[in-house]
Amino acid sequence: MPQTGTVLISDTKSKEDLDVPWNVIVLNDPINLMSYVTMVFQRVFGYPRHKAETLMLEVHHKGRSLVWSGGREQAELYVHQLHSYQLLAHLERSE
Amino acid sequence: MKHLRVQTDGPQRLCLSGLDPVLLDCLQSLPDILAQRDAPGVRHRLFPDPTVADTEANNDWQRLITPELHHLFAAAGETVACDLATLAPDRQHKNHFRITFAADHLNAWMSALNQARLVLAELFSITDTDMNRPDFDLDQPKDLAVFRIHILGYLLQLFVEQASD
Repeated sequence: MPQTGTVLISDTKSKEDLDVPWNVIVLNDPINLMSYVTMVFQRVFGYPRHKAETLMLEVHHKGRSLVWSGGREQAELYVHQLHSYQLLAHLERSE
Repeated sequence: MKHLRVQTDGPQRLCLSGLDPVLLDCLQSLPDILAQRDAPGVRHRLFPDPTVADTEANNDWQRLITPELHHLFAAAGETVACDLATLAPDRQHKNHFRITFAADHLNAWMSALNQARLVLAELFSITDTDMNRPDFDLDQPKDLAVFRIHILGYLLQLFVEQASD
């Protein structure tokens, strides 16, 4: 029996969504300028230039980079912002 | 493009000067290029899904978020189209031109230039190999597209540097 004041979360998927970290992934494409991608990482995540460049180079050389990890809602917001700069980005559940 | 410059032009304004006829032609083609952002094969690049396999989330995104992004991208294109109307001769360089615009249009310019590069790339299925070719036959539509992607990229690079100052 639940105690008084306890809220039952019936939607287990939603609870998992809240608990499990989500990754924001940026994919490489042959068109976006390296300097542009670096600028976007600085603007969206507030990363210092060095970190933004490191992540940009990982995208460039490895084809993808995990640029942020955390709650789903924030991950969706970041993907939205990255799409607004026309970067190829998606979120995926952390394994 | 040796005279090409982006610099401040009084308070809160920027001037893009030293535009040669080739670059000018690329810029004047921007509205027509951007008008193809909804063409088959282009739309998925400008408005990608937010997940790889979550169909429900992807459908929600396309219903709720994509229209907002579409409006944002269209507004950027319209801002640049209006700024192009300020085209005037560059008095310092014969056969060159200049455009002045509000400094807070800088993001719209970067968006429009990047959109145009992506649209051209999707329309002509441009690959890394195409981008690294050393020469072009400008009578070939695909080569002309690659050439324009490079030219617009050069200009975008100047704007990124301006934005980073």
